[in-house]
Amino acid sequence: MSKVQQLSVSKTSVSKVAILVLAIVFAAGLFVVGFDQGHIFSVVYGEQAFVDLTIHELTHDMRHAAGFPCH
Amino acid sequence: MKSVLFIVIVIVSGALAGAIHGTVNFAIVEPYLDQAIGIENENLFASGEEDDNPQFWADYEEYRVWQKSGQVLAGIILGVAMGSLFGIVYALSRNSLPGKNDVTKAVVLAGIMWITVYLIPFLKYPANPPTVGETETVVLRSILYILFIAISGFGAFAFYKLSQKLQSNKKYLGLIGYVIFIIIAFFVMPENPDEITAPMNLVNEFRLMSVLGVTSFWISVGIILGLLWNKFDNSKLSPDYS
Ligand SMILES: [Zn+2]
Repeated sequence: MSKVQQLSVSKTSVSKVAILVLAIVFAAGLFVVGFDQGHIFSVVYGEQAFVDLTIHELTHDMRHAAGFPCH
Repeated sequence: MKSVLFIVIVIVSGALAGAIHGTVNFAIVEPYLDQAIGIENENLFASGEEDDNPQFWADYEEYRVWQKSGQVLAGIILGVAMGSLFGIVYALSRNSLPGKNDVTKAVVLAGIMWITVYLIPFLKYPANPPTVGETETVVLRSILYILFIAISGFGAFAFYKLSQKLQSNKKYLGLIGYVIFIIIAFFVMPENPDEITAPMNLVNEFRLMSVLGVTSFWISVGIILGLLWNKFDNSKLSPDYS
């Protein structure tokens, strides 16, 4: 029993925690560059969105260049 | 491999490959972005929304320098994100990828992911320069794009799992299954609702440069992760490779 479990663990060779951490990094990074719509949320959030919009503009050119939907 | 070491080499390889992507874009994509935004400015002047005066151009320059300076930074953020996905899939599939060392294996996987989560979604929803997209449809377009990437990626994964269950002389059926599946999805998914108003040759040249940029990322991330993995992984490959 324990032998079988060991085998299936060594097959993956990295821990589930590491994979979870990277999955979160993936989702967060993709959202920032690909899908964060600073200019849409600005309608709702007002002043604060100006700061967000400025950050949004930093990722703007990459968004177009990497093929994500934009303006 | 230790978890921390694994996370570090995945993030480092993603960041380096992303920096390469950003630099390539800075060199080859920015000229087309400038052209497209130039057309946008002409439209603003024509409609009277903006005046063609020195103040406008001063603001515009400042704003564009800020946007351009983000290419490499955003490249690194996106690179770390996509590199993380790549690292996860690599760790899970490494033992069944073809190739004698990690560089070959990682480049093979990078090629597969380049096709399934980039090229196929690109063919359905190609990149567009500024001025093409309508602000009202951006959420819809984002949902369609991410959905199609997910359909293609998970579809490839599911058919790969299926092919593992088949006898060795029937494994190709998994690939055929994926091709049929993705062709159906390609025609079922709704079109990009926006009409292209920019000159078509500008759009096409922009798209070509965009593909070259993203391709530079996938090649780099495969090579760099493979090299780092070779260097730091001291558990040898399972002996089934010959
Ligand atoms: Zn845009």
